[in-house]
Parts: sequence; C-alpha cells; structure tokens
Amino acid sequence: MDSDVFTFLVGGKAGEGVKKAGSVAAHMFSSMGRHIFQMDDYMSLIRGGHNFSVVSTAPRWISSHYMKANLVVNFDKRSCEAHMNDIAEKGIMIFNSDEQENERGIGIPLTSEAKKYPMKSLMYGVGAVAILSATIGFEKEKMNQIIEEEYSRGIEDNIAFANKIYDLVYPDCGKKFTLDKGDKKRPIITGNEAISLGAIAGGLDVYYGYPMTPASTILHTLAREANNFGLAVVHAEGEIAVINMAIGSAFTGARVMVGTSGGGFALMTEGFSLAGITEAPVLVILSQRPGPATGVPTYTEQADLAFALTAGHGDFLRIVTSPRTVREAYYLSGEMLNLVWKFQTPGILLTEKHLSESSMTVEIDVEKSKWEEPKMHIVGDYKRYLDTDDGVSPMLFPPSNQIIKWNSYEHDEFGITTENAEKISLMHDKRNKKLKILIEYLKGQDTVRIIRGENPTNIFTYGSTYMSVLEALRYASLNPTIVAPIYLSPLPIWKLEEFKEQENIVIEQSSTGQFTKLLKEKAGMKIRNTIKKYDGRPFDPIDLAKKLKEVL
Amino acid sequence: MDDLKTYAEITWCPGCGNFGIFTAVRNAIPLLEEKGIKRDNIVITSGIGCHGKIFDYLNLSGFYGLHGRNCSNSEGIKIANPDLKVINFSGDANGLAEGLAHTIFAAKRNQDITFILHNNSVYALTTGQFSPLAEKGWKGPSTPRGSYEEPFNPMSLMIEAGATFVARGFAGDTKHLTDIIVQGVEHEGFSFIEILQPAVPYHKWTEYREQVEYLVKEPETYFKAFKAAKENHKFTLGVFYRTQRPVYHKELYADHNPITDRINRKVRLEKIRKILESK
Repeated sequence: MDSDVFTFLVGGKAGEGVKKAGSVAAHMFSSMGRHIFQMDDYMSLIRGGHNFSVVSTAPRWISSHYMKANLVVNFDKRSCEAHMNDIAEKGIMIFNSDEQENERGIGIPLTSEAKKYPMKSLMYGVGAVAILSATIGFEKEKMNQIIEEEYSRGIEDNIAFANKIYDLVYPDCGKKFTLDKGDKKRPIITGNEAISLGAIAGGLDVYYGYPMTPASTILHTLAREANNFGLAVVHAEGEIAVINMAIGSAFTGARVMVGTSGGGFALMTEGFSLAGITEAPVLVILSQRPGPATGVPTYTEQADLAFALTAGHGDFLRIVTSPRTVREAYYLSGEMLNLVWKFQTPGILLTEKHLSESSMTVEIDVEKSKWEEPKMHIVGDYKRYLDTDDGVSPMLFPPSNQIIKWNSYEHDEFGITTENAEKISLMHDKRNKKLKILIEYLKGQDTVRIIRGENPTNIFTYGSTYMSVLEALRYASLNPTIVAPIYLSPLPIWKLEEFKEQENIVIEQSSTGQFTKLLKEKAGMKIRNTIKKYDGRPFDPIDLAKKLKEVL
Repeated sequence: MDDLKTYAEITWCPGCGNFGIFTAVRNAIPLLEEKGIKRDNIVITSGIGCHGKIFDYLNLSGFYGLHGRNCSNSEGIKIANPDLKVINFSGDANGLAEGLAHTIFAAKRNQDITFILHNNSVYALTTGQFSPLAEKGWKGPSTPRGSYEEPFNPMSLMIEAGATFVARGFAGDTKHLTDIIVQGVEHEGFSFIEILQPAVPYHKWTEYREQVEYLVKEPETYFKAFKAAKENHKFTLGVFYRTQRPVYHKELYADHNPITDRINRKVRLEKIRKILESK
C-alpha cells in the first residue's frame, strides 16, 4: 500500500455511532494538517444491521478511501467477520472481546466497559476514537478536548470511558502508527454540503425537496441554514409538487434549486419538460443511487446518465454537468444556477451517493463563484417570449405594471396559447437558437479536465469516479492521459476531437456502460474497453489499479 | 375603459358558465384595487381544461401550468415573493383528480392563495368523461354504463383539509360571485371558492337555476360549518367557513421576503467562510 496513506475503518450496528466516529477521526487527522477522504457505508435501516465508515488520510490531497485499513475497529461480531479481509499488511484489528474471540486481532471489552455508564452502546463510537488516539499516539488531553467538542451528551462519562479504553489499548498498540503532520488544517465537508453552500454563493433564494437518499442532506443542510441566509426551504408533499413549486418561484425571479435521486427525478420529468417550454431557470440536483426503481437506496451508481440526458417529453435545451470532486461540486452548483438563468432553461447537476455523502478536506476560494443578473427587460411593451437574435428573451418579474405570461402550452411571444403553424415553429426555433450561444459560451469555459500523461492509452471517466481513478493511478504509479468531461449536455465534442481515433478506455459505474455509449454516439469516440462497477460500491483504488494494469 | 381582456380569441362554447366567472373576476379586480390591493401584485395561475383558458383571456400576469399542477406553481410563487396575491384557477378534474394532493396540501398549509374551482362536474375539454364532482351514474365515453363513484363534497373536504375560507358561488349570479371572490382574495390564508359552472354541451342552465339557494347565515364555528357543508345540497351558495390561522409563508420565515430582502453576495460569502472555518 502507498506508504503515505493511513486508513481507519470502524464498523458496527446502526445507532452505535459508527459514522460519527469516522467523522471525529477525520477531524483528528485534519487537525494534524492532513487531508482526508471519508466514505460511509450504511444500510437502509435505523437500528441494527451493519454500517461502517472508512477514513483514509495522507499528507497530500487524497481522493479516495482505501478498503485495506491499517486500523480496523469492530463493535460487534458481524462487523468483525465482514472486515476480516480489510486489514492491510502490518495493520491491526481491534474487536469487542465481549462479543467474540478472534486470534487475528486484539480484544477490548467494549461492552462491559460501556455498561458501567447509562449510555451503554451509544458510547462505542467514543471507544473507537480512543482506540485510534492510542494507536496513533494522539495525546490524551487533545483527545479529551475533541470528545468534549464532538460529543455534547454525557461529556464526563464519555471522557472517563475514553480514557479507560485508551489505557487498555496502549500497552499492546500504543503509538503503533506514526502519522506525519501535514501543512495546514482544512475544512471537511460532504459533497452535499458543497452543493448547498455553492448554490448559496451563486444566489440561491429558494429550495424545494422531498426526502430521498442520497439527496436528503442537501434539504437538511439548507433547512438548517435557511434563516442564516434568508432562504425559503420547503419539504413539499412529493417531487411533482417540488418541481412545480420551483417553477412557480422561478416565475417571480427567485433563484431556485431542487434535489432528488432517480425515482424522484422520474416524478419530476413532466415538470422538467414544463421548465423547458416555459423557459424556466430551474436547477435539479440529481444524486444517483443504484436503480432501477427503488434500487439500493444508500449505495452508489452512475446509471441515471442516459435518463438525465433525455428526461422530459418534447424538444428543449438542457444543461447537464457532473462534478468530479467535493470542491468542484461547490463551484459547479453556483455556476449551474448562473447558467440556467443565463440561458433560461432547466439544468441538472448529476452526481452520485459517493460524492454526495463522502467527506473530504477542501480548499475553497469562496470569491470564485459567480452570481450574474439575468438579461432584463428595460423599456417598452413587454413580451415574455420575445424572439431575439440569440433566442434568450429579456426577463421581467411581478409585481410589474407590464403583463408577464409564462405558458405551458405552445405560445406566441406575448405568452398566449397558440395553435398557429407558423408561431409553433417560430417558438421551437427561438428556443433551439440558445444552444448555439450556450456552446459559444462553453468554449471559453473549463468543460473537460484533461491531464496529459505518458501512457499511450487514454482514460475517460466522469463524476466522482474521476477521484477513484486518480487515486488508483497514483497507487499503481501509472501515468495515462485522463479525460474527464464536467459537461455532459451539451457534450464538449470540440475538446474530445483529438482523442477520437486513439486508444481509449472508459471507467464508469453503470452495468450497460452509459457513459461509453454517450462518448461513442455523441463524440464518435473509438472505445477499446470499459471498466465497469455496478455493485453499489465505489471503486477501491487498489482493486481498480489491478484492473487498470491489465488494460493499460 | 380597461376591460382586463387580452387579444386572445375566446373559444368557450356560447353560453358556457365560464363567461360568468370571467365577468365576476373582471368585476372583482377594480373592487380589490379600491381596497388597496394593487393590480401589479395580482398573479393568476391556471391548470389545463376549459377553466384554464381564462389565463389567455385575462390581461393579468401569471403562469399557465400543467394539468393538475398549477396549485404547486401558485404555492411556489407565494413562497418566493409573499407580496404577490395569487389567484389560482382550476377545474374539478385539475384540482380534485390529477392535482388532489396539491389542493389538499395547500389547504393543510393554509397557503395564502385564492383557489377558484370551476365546477362543471365533467371533463368538458376531453369530451365528457365523469369527473371527481360528477354525480354517480354519469354516462361518459369512459363510463358507458354510468360512473361508479360518489362525488366529493368540496366544501366539507376543504374544511377538513384546513382551508380557512370556504365558499360556493354560481356562474349565473355574478353579483354574488364577485362579492365572494373579493372576500376570498382579501382573506389572509387558503381561500377555496367552488363555482357552479354549467358546461352547456353536458348540463343545462335550468338544472342549476331551479335548485340554487343561499345559505341563510354564515356558520360561526368549525363544527357548524362542517354540518352546513354536509347537510345542505350541492347547489347551496354562500360562505361556509371562515377562520384565522397562521399562513404558511409567515410560519416559514415570518415577515421576511426571500426576493426583496435577499441577502447580498458579500454577506453570503462572509457567512460561508465562517461555516467553512467551523468544519
């Protein structure tokens, strides 16, 4: 394993504070100036089952968790069995000796120690933090301070418990691992937090959502920040209401966003088409989980790409992008809000559970985000759908002494319903014209990330899979050219042209290779091979490195 | 004189009850202006069906939505800019079939909008199928042996759902109807106004005129209102229920307005910096 990476894995039942322990560990590493990547694997249940959190850390930017952990902490037998093969070379497993015996690890009586306190199993997470602290030689005072900050309930008990566990672990594995300090402390945020904050920076006024994993935490983050930023954040009765409320808000000039996953977006498609004909600027965050239908709610996939590119009946312009990193998610959500207003058409920011719910240390330049005013009507009689040279009609919002009519029927320039043959084709042409200026605009933007390498084979990837690929290539010391489009519709074919006839392979999380198909059909790319993963889990860098070595 | 009409060709059937509603709305607007409600602040929405055509005919700003979904558009308008007065037009299929959930939730939330239900008890525009308010036994192309469903009682349904102004008017009495529309728009909260509206290919005006009667007295309490809604027949006109309850947008953000009180970029970025520092 890459020697600069240290990985901590903690597993147990839902309700035992597994995710929280992962998050506290991440903050301990970031307090040392290191970078982190945290991936939480959890089941769709509230109590019980098996959950785990993996935190990988390095003194440099790290873009994936590693499934081979240096320190594995298990709260129960199931967890112990599940992670037996996840112990890295020279790694250790510390298990709950009240639950089982195991010759491969070191037993700590977590249950009997926790039973001495009223919170019992709720304290296991604190135990894991203490185990980590002892093994990496994190000083007790600093550990106690972190516990005080992170665990607000029963501080004294938690600290007493943590110190006891620390002392039990220390004789066998105290300071077993040495972690170098990094250069500075960086904030840790999830992809969904990045999307939420980025949208606020881009002028978000209103957000609508209906709970659906893995998009729900956007709703939660924005609901929490609503008062702070003067936003209206509404949990509506369903996704159909969500998209239609959003379009109503856009009519008043509000910058509006909605968030959902595949099933919810399926319900929104009629409204998405409505945004197309009314030219309503609405941004949809589509965070994918494995489908079809209910699929696998708390896991990851990239199989809604084709759906996002075609959803909604009728011809209309859409903008579809996918952020590759948590930091990029921040910039891109603000930029997407800008674009849907600039071109008055709906947009989709396509992401996955792996980006939405994973946490990373980030460096964000908050000044970088844009917040431009849309093209506004200035003088004379107003026509909502005025046929302009570029197809973008000036906007005006109520209250106004002018009449502003947005219409779901095909309409004339004023906004009144029409069945007139000439007017129908005129409106199609007006809307279609916008594609030309959108492409002109995108030609000046960073639409495809290209990292030039030495290996003659190119790797195409997108979304959070980009991060897995980068980490795998680093692990395997491979150096091909990486081509990762951020824009998927319109696809920046002008950037892809040079690779068309080269040796190309695609890496994506779809069983039918939707991204591969897109590249072939839209860009005429020659694709030699596609590495797919569709078991709901993100790529592990070591596994992916092996596959890459086979094809490169 | 400004007659609030656009240039659009009116395509309702001659003698349609929608003309009465169109007249009452046009009469109500100047009365509302006299009461201090600015015309610039009035926004209309329509769904799809014969009722929806009023969107093209009324020279007012607004949003012509999807079938069944304009109530959500109305809510979105009000939530984003509470200074706007939203009048939401709907047919009985638009509002009580395809859009039933939205209508009930808007009432539950006490959204400060006026919901005008054109009740013609039939799917007129799509050739006469039975509707949520059609009598049991209605013979239409989808129910050749007669429909099997009892109609909703819109008055008791809306009182139960949480509407705070519930009334019924008649397209054939525009004076009474105008008065009810003015009261509904003035009312702070979810106003639900059902309007009996004959669709002439399917119903005769005489069916209505012979049966219409007026509530003697506006019920004073929730239970009296509910009783009046249940005990009177469906041609009984008047205000069935009126009460005060906090409106949704004020519960959401009190006296704030997300658009006019928008927090500027500089302040936002400063707050985001602070949040990031705490992470």
